[in-house]
Amino acid sequence: MVRALRLMTLFVQVSVQNFTAYRFDFFVRGLMSLIHVGAELVAVWTIFNNTQSLKGWQWQHMLVLVGVYRIIAGGIRISIVPNMRKLLDEIREGTFDFVLLRPVNAQFLVSIREFVIWRLTDVFLGSAAAAYGCYSLLGHVPVKQTFVFIMMLAAGFAIVYSVWLMLATLCFWFIRIQNIEMVFWNVFEAGRYPIVIYNPWVRWVLTFILPLAFITTFPAGSLLGDPATGVPPSAPYYALLIATVLLLLSGWFWRFGLKRYAGASA
Amino acid sequence: MSRVVRVFLAYLRAKIGVMLQYRGEILLWSIWGIINPAVLYAMWSAAASGNENQSIAGLDRGGFAAYYFVMMIVGHLTGAWDVYHLGYLIRSGQLSPMLLRPVLPIWETLADNLSYKITTLMFVVPMWALFAWLVTPRFETSLWQVGMGFIAVLLGAGLNYMLCHTAALLAFWATKLDAMGEIYFGLCMFLGGRFAPMNALPGPILAIAEYLPFRWMFAFPTELLIGKIASMNEALIGVVIQSVWLVGVVILYRLMWSVAVKRYTAVSG
Repeated sequence: MVRALRLMTLFVQVSVQNFTAYRFDFFVRGLMSLIHVGAELVAVWTIFNNTQSLKGWQWQHMLVLVGVYRIIAGGIRISIVPNMRKLLDEIREGTFDFVLLRPVNAQFLVSIREFVIWRLTDVFLGSAAAAYGCYSLLGHVPVKQTFVFIMMLAAGFAIVYSVWLMLATLCFWFIRIQNIEMVFWNVFEAGRYPIVIYNPWVRWVLTFILPLAFITTFPAGSLLGDPATGVPPSAPYYALLIATVLLLLSGWFWRFGLKRYAGASA
Repeated sequence: MSRVVRVFLAYLRAKIGVMLQYRGEILLWSIWGIINPAVLYAMWSAAASGNENQSIAGLDRGGFAAYYFVMMIVGHLTGAWDVYHLGYLIRSGQLSPMLLRPVLPIWETLADNLSYKITTLMFVVPMWALFAWLVTPRFETSLWQVGMGFIAVLLGAGLNYMLCHTAALLAFWATKLDAMGEIYFGLCMFLGGRFAPMNALPGPILAIAEYLPFRWMFAFPTELLIGKIASMNEALIGVVIQSVWLVGVVILYRLMWSVAVKRYTAVSG
């Protein structure tokens, strides 16, 4: 455990050094993050320029959702995407051998090797949007619900991680699946809006088959604790349950896939 | 002239062959063009159902179904991504061999563009049909609007292609290509009517959109095809504005190209 933490700290340090080497890039990218959030705010403005509520979601609710979407998407780009990209490349090229040779759990190692530090701007901007939305609706940011909210964000992140790990594991069978990232972002797009906008069967699919609801809509709803959002009060328990099940399932699938790995030319 | 046409057709044949090699890849690219309008349809029809008159900007549920169904098709037919693709060719030096050929590189990238649109039809047409079957769009279109809409789509496609290609030429000077590409697509999204119909935009944003070409690439052909542009006069004025923009952008392209290409220094080919 201590060794695992030490390893992780080491990888973060390297990532920070990499990041500080390109400071000018940081400003351009920070500006782009700002523009992204700006565009999302324009979207919210446009929607509520035409209506009072989106199936019970007012503009304050939507601000929180925009924030959650930014935080999760930022988190995915900080750690999940770079690590999985690297993993897919290595499996294809056969250099994945060197990962297996190391005296650490392979799943752990492939998940912590790279961190895109500057993407933290997305997490900060997202948190600011969520906090502002919450503040303007309730007049304060409730402490207890904030804890539930952070826990649900963590559960959502764990769900995304599990899905990605399973997608990446497919690479042991199908060598060239680099484009799987695009599929992921395509589906993730549907999480920009509360799931109540979809018709019942799409909603069902987005809750139980592709659990997007647990990644964006439910965390946002649980921060506000507002029944108007249509988020059930039991959502946090289900989020924990689904996250645990998916983490176990993806870990099992990873080990199962690993047995198929035969190395390439290396 | 006839030589350019012959070269272009040869390019087109070759590029279609290449595209067919990457069937899986282009399928994935084309999915975004389906999911994005489908999600926006769901969002706007939900928003309209919350209003007393059940509509927004003159569109009710069936109206939004028609708008985003047509936008799905218009977005595919008028799509352009040279700001990424050509920009990458310039920065990576892969433009060098293209410059040695006796026709402008724009013919090759145009063939790329058209070959993608043609080869992806086999995926997107069934998905369009499925979407239409699921959401039951309601059209108020008469025959002349279909005819004018066809012309408007062609002009819109030309305009978007030329502007996107011209914007890509900034890669001769700038280095941050991804940022440029994202801003271009963002402008298409918000000022072009892909995110929301023009009438639903907040006043200040609509005011900006009026003076830029983006609405003439997407919103105008779409409005025409769903029958929202009622008078022939208005449609004709729109087509004239599209043509003026197109001519203007072609001139800008020629000017920029002649300056830009002199700046080109590739490290490797």
